[in-house]
Amino acid sequence: MSQNNDSNEEIQLVIFRLGSEEYAFDILTVQEIKRMTDITRVPHTPEYIKGVINLRGSVLPVLDLKTRMNLLPTPITEDTRIIIIKTEQVFVGILVDAVSEVVSMKCSEIEPPQGSGSIVTENYVKGIGKLGDRLLIILNPQSIVDVV
Amino acid sequence: MMDVSQYMVLFLEEAREHLQSLNRCLLDLENDPADLSVLDEIFRSAHTIKGMSATMGYADIAELTHEMENILDLLRKAILKANHSIIDTLFQCVDTLERLVEDVANNETSNADIQSLIKKLSSLAENPSPAYPSTIEKPILIATFNETNLTSTEISLITSAQRQGLCAFEVQVVLRADCLLKSARAYMVMNAAEELGDIIKTVPLTEDLENGHFDQQFQFILLSSVDSEKIKDEILSISEIETVTVLPCIISEDAAIEQFMEPETVQENNIAEKLTSSSTPLRSNPALNEKRIRGGQSVRVDIDKLDSLLNLVGELVINKTRLEQIGTSHKLGDLTETIEQIDRVTTDLQSVVMKVRMVPVGQVFNRFPRMVRDLSHELGKEINLIIQGEDTELDRTVIDEIGDPLVHLLRNAVDHGIERLPERRSSGKEAVGEVRLIARHEGNNVIILVEDDGKGIDAASIKEKALKGGFIAKTDADKMDDQELINLLFLPGFSTAAAVTDVSGRGVGMDAVKTKIETLGGTVEIETKVGRGSKFIIKLPLTLAIIQALLVRVCKEIYAIPLSSIDSTIHLKPEDIKTVQGKEVILLRGQIIPIIRLDAVLNVPPDNKEQSDLFIVIVHVGQQKAGIIVDDLIGQQEIVIKSLGSLLKSIKVIAGATILGNGQVALILDVGSVMK
Repeated sequence: MSQNNDSNEEIQLVIFRLGSEEYAFDILTVQEIKRMTDITRVPHTPEYIKGVINLRGSVLPVLDLKTRMNLLPTPITEDTRIIIIKTEQVFVGILVDAVSEVVSMKCSEIEPPQGSGSIVTENYVKGIGKLGDRLLIILNPQSIVDVV
Repeated sequence: MMDVSQYMVLFLEEAREHLQSLNRCLLDLENDPADLSVLDEIFRSAHTIKGMSATMGYADIAELTHEMENILDLLRKAILKANHSIIDTLFQCVDTLERLVEDVANNETSNADIQSLIKKLSSLAENPSPAYPSTIEKPILIATFNETNLTSTEISLITSAQRQGLCAFEVQVVLRADCLLKSARAYMVMNAAEELGDIIKTVPLTEDLENGHFDQQFQFILLSSVDSEKIKDEILSISEIETVTVLPCIISEDAAIEQFMEPETVQENNIAEKLTSSSTPLRSNPALNEKRIRGGQSVRVDIDKLDSLLNLVGELVINKTRLEQIGTSHKLGDLTETIEQIDRVTTDLQSVVMKVRMVPVGQVFNRFPRMVRDLSHELGKEINLIIQGEDTELDRTVIDEIGDPLVHLLRNAVDHGIERLPERRSSGKEAVGEVRLIARHEGNNVIILVEDDGKGIDAASIKEKALKGGFIAKTDADKMDDQELINLLFLPGFSTAAAVTDVSGRGVGMDAVKTKIETLGGTVEIETKVGRGSKFIIKLPLTLAIIQALLVRVCKEIYAIPLSSIDSTIHLKPEDIKTVQGKEVILLRGQIIPIIRLDAVLNVPPDNKEQSDLFIVIVHVGQQKAGIIVDDLIGQQEIVIKSLGSLLKSIKVIAGATILGNGQVALILDVGSVMK
C-alpha cells in the first residue's frame, strides 16, 4: 500500500500514542477498542505478552506494544486502551497509551519506511504518514503478532 | 447434470456407515455362513451404496457394488456357499470401496483397480466353490417361486390354471440401469403382460412397483396360454428393458395338496423372508418397518453447530455463576430463588448438550474386529477379540482422537502379546488367544481396557533394553521396581530399540499412545504378568469442555486445578516439610510425597507475606503423586475450558484458561507438566 501512488485512494487510520510518538493501524485490521481491564498474567511467556483478558467470553492475549518495540515503559493511566486487532490467524489485544482519533489519508501521503534512524524495529513499520506537521508511524499488525 | 455437491457430505457419511456395517456383517457371516439375515443386511448395505453412488455419478463404486450384489444374490439363493475365498474377496471389495469413497472425500481421482476384483467376483459366481459340490448341480437361473414360497391361494390358482391347459410362467424383468421412470416402465410391462394372460403375483407388490420402490428388477407370475418366447418378445418390445427371463413355474398337484394341509401362516412367513431379501420396502415385516421409522427421527447435525451450542451454554454457566455471586453478596432473597431455578435449568441444559455430543465408543470399536481378523490371519494366530461396553458414550472430540492409540495397543496385543500356537500349547493355554477390548464408565471417567492373555511383558528384558539403549543409568535401573521398569515403555524412542531386537516388541510407538491420551486429559497404565498376559488401562474424561476444578490462590493470582487429578487437600505447618536429597517432601500416611512450590514454578511475583499455615493440594498423574503448595483454597467450581489461542499454546504448565464468575480470566494448571 505504501507503494501505491494513486493519489485518489484513501485509507482510514486509527491513531494512537505510545509514549510521545504517534502511531497508526489501518482501520480494517482494528476490531474494537477497549478500556483497560483486568489482565491475567500468563507465566512462561515473553515479556511483551501482558497476559490474557476476557472479551465477552473469549480469552484473548494482550501484547504490550511498548515492550515489543523496545520503547520506554509508561504507567497505566485513565487513557490506556486495548486495541483489539484481527490478523490472519488470531485476535490480539494491543496495549497502548491512548487512542486519539480516526483520520483519512491519501495513499500518496504515505512514504515507505526509512532504512534507519528509527528506534522502532524496521519490520513493524508499514510506512510513515504525514498529517500536516504530524508524523504517523503506520504499523503492520501481522509482524507485531508473529512470534519471532 | 444435477448439482450433487450439496449431497456430498450426506453421501460420504452414509457410505461410510454402510461400509462399516458391511465389514461387521461380513465378519458375522464368516463366523456363521448359514445366517441368512446377515446376508440380507449385507445385501441391503451394498445395495444402498450402489444406489447412492449411481445417483452421485460415481460409476466405479456403483459397478463394484453391483458385482458384489450378484455374488450376494447367489449366496442368498444358496447357489453359492460362503467360503473363505468368497468372503476374502468380499472383504477386498469393501476395502476397495472404502478407498474409493475416501478418494471421493479427498476429491481425488481414484486409481483403485476395480476391474481385477470384478473379474474375481464373476469367476466366483461362475465357478461355485468346489468345497460344496452339491451346489453345482443347481442351475443359476431357477424359478424363484416354488411350492414353498407361494400362498395356498396362489398355488391353487396355478394348479387350476394348469388343469385348464394354461401355463404358469415366472417372468423376471431387469430394467436398464439408466432407466429414469422405473415405475412407468414397470406399469408398461405389467400392462403388456395382462394382454397375454393373468398376473397372479408380483414381487415386489404392485403398489411398490407403481411407486417405484424397487431395484432395477422385478418378477411376476403370469398365467397364460402363449409360449414363453412370445411373452419375452412382447415385453422386450418396451424400451429401457435390460433383460427378460421367462421360466416355467411348475407346481406339482401333490405339493399343492400338501400346501393346503399346512397352516397358512408358515407360508406367509416364507414370503416375508423372500421379500426381505429382495430389499424392497417390507410391508409384511412390521418389526423391521417400525425400526426404520424410529431411525428416521434422528437428525444429522454439523459438529461445529454443536460446538457453538456448547460454547453458548458455557457462557450461560459463567453468567449464572456471576448472578449467584451478586445474589449472595447483596443478600437478595427473591433473586436467590430465581437463581436456583436458573441453576436447575442450566444444569439440565448443559447435561443435554453434553449428551448430544456423546457418541458410543462402538463407532470406533466397530472397525477393530476386522483389523484383528486380518492381523491374526497374517500372523497365523487364532485370536478371539471380545468387545464389551461398546455403547459406553464419550464426547465426540474424544472419540475422534482415541482410534489411533487403540489400534496401536490392539496391534501390539495381537502381534507381540498373544503367543504362537506351539508356545501356547506348551504353557498350557487355550489354543485360541483372547484379546479383550472393554469400555465402561467409572465416575466422571471412561475406562477402556485392552487386555490379552498372552505372554506378558518381562521387566528384566525391558531393563536390559533400556540400559543398552542408554535410556537410564545402571544405578537408576537397579533402584527401579518392576512397575517402574515397565513404564519405561512409554519413553519416547524406546520403541525402536525394542522393535529391532524384538524381545517383547512392546513399546512400538507407546510414547505416541501415551502422549495422545494425555492430550485428551486421560492416563494410561500397564498391568502385566509374565506368562499370563498384559492389560492396558486407559482412563479418559467424559468431555473436554466443562470440568470440575478446584480454584486456588497463589499470591494474588488465581489458578484452577482439574478435580480429576486431585487426591486430597491438606493443611500443614511449614516445619512439616522435610528435605530428602535436597528435595522438599512431606510424609502423608506413610507415603513420601514430593512438594512443588507453585509460586516458583509459575514465577509468581511474590507478595512478601509470611504464611504460618500451608495449604497443600495432593495431585496425581497415573500413580505418581505430588503436593502443590498454594496460599489459599478458594473452592470447587465447574469451569468452562477455553483455549489460550495459537499465540500462547506452547506454554507447558498451563492447560487452558477459564472465565470466573467475576469476569476475570483464571488459568488452568496442567498438572502433568507441573510435576515434571
